[in-house]
Amino acid sequence: MNSPRLSRRQRVLLNCAPIGQHNLMDRAMRSAVARATDSSEFVNQQNFDRAVAELVRLIPIPPETAEWFSEKDLAVGSKWTWKKMVRNPAVLAISIAVLVIAGVLVWQLLARLDEFPGSATARKLLAVASSTRPVMLDPVSTEAGTLSDLFFMKHGLEHYDVPDEFADFRTIGCRVFEDESSRRIAQIWLAEKRMQLFLFPAERDTKTGAVLKFPGWRHVHQEGWVGAVKEQSDVCFMAAVRGNDKDLEPYIGKPKE
Amino acid sequence: MRRILGVPDRKQNLPQLYRFCFLMLGDAGKAQEVFHTTLREAAVRAAHGELPKERFWLFRDARWRCLEATKTDLQPEPLQLEESELTSQAASQVKNLDPAQLAIWISAAPEPQRSALALFYLDEFDYDEIFDIAELKLAELAHVLVQGRRQLQAWLNARFAEAQK
Repeated sequence: MNSPRLSRRQRVLLNCAPIGQHNLMDRAMRSAVARATDSSEFVNQQNFDRAVAELVRLIPIPPETAEWFSEKDLAVGSKWTWKKMVRNPAVLAISIAVLVIAGVLVWQLLARLDEFPGSATARKLLAVASSTRPVMLDPVSTEAGTLSDLFFMKHGLEHYDVPDEFADFRTIGCRVFEDESSRRIAQIWLAEKRMQLFLFPAERDTKTGAVLKFPGWRHVHQEGWVGAVKEQSDVCFMAAVRGNDKDLEPYIGKPKE
Repeated sequence: MRRILGVPDRKQNLPQLYRFCFLMLGDAGKAQEVFHTTLREAAVRAAHGELPKERFWLFRDARWRCLEATKTDLQPEPLQLEESELTSQAASQVKNLDPAQLAIWISAAPEPQRSALALFYLDEFDYDEIFDIAELKLAELAHVLVQGRRQLQAWLNARFAEAQK
């Protein structure tokens, strides 16, 4: 039997020496065990401890006790669910704020999509249309298309031409007035659906002075009125009627023959 | 493995917790009762978010319940048990034992030897952790383990000598 020379503390440590290597974490313990490896006394102790530990592992677990060893957690603290998440006041407040911001952005984007050169003027003129009374216009009963000559001859307004789509409608009256920017606006009242037509100078680039053109018909809306605007020969034409886009659909896009 | 939240995996080995109760009490019925009570209490505390933060509280709690459960039992008379040096045949003698016999032997040991032997032979904790759970010091643990081994060896010797007759 080899009896290594061990300090008192090392002998004490060896008496508590772990059964398996997995618990041999402590440096002092490792050192004591390393010194005693050749000791038959220690080998007997280790064999004895291993045999007892092996026997302990054989202790059967009763079935009703084994039920506790399922895969589930015994106590699920607070399971994360969408419902709980949504009910959280902070999440709710943030969600509402995000929705409002998103709504505003979408609304602004849609508004931008409706924008075109002259749309601001067109909206102002829709407000004018809603407040205009027939008595404010000079009574003229003719075809709308013929008023281009009148505007040119009497007021010197070049290219104030009514598009073909509206040229054949009978007029009730017309006038020429200046807006707050001293631009000259021609206004025509039609008998057809009490529709009003406006002709006004197209928007220009503030730096270059070039006319800002846009293709086809564009719609503007204001206080229950709808306007279909078209640019031709540096002049914007707008047909305005109380209602929505559908009220103008039959007139635009199909020139009269 | 079913887990109790807030307890590190190795320290909440529930089969080992049951075995610990069994070694402490030497009776499967009592061990189950203590084990179930401990886990039910832990589940209630977990539901209220009141699980202790200290290490090994589950084993400490189960130990306390085991001590409480045997407080009113008939206590063994304090007597000097025979002791023998460990022999090279000790391991094979132990292998011939039944786990229940070992549990009865350990459960009959006086405190703190009973707790020390039960915790040590679970092979789950290092000696620092056993100090923590059983509230022992190194010298005390070493003493009760040495004594326990020698007493168990003497009991094994007697038991197998009788069997050979």
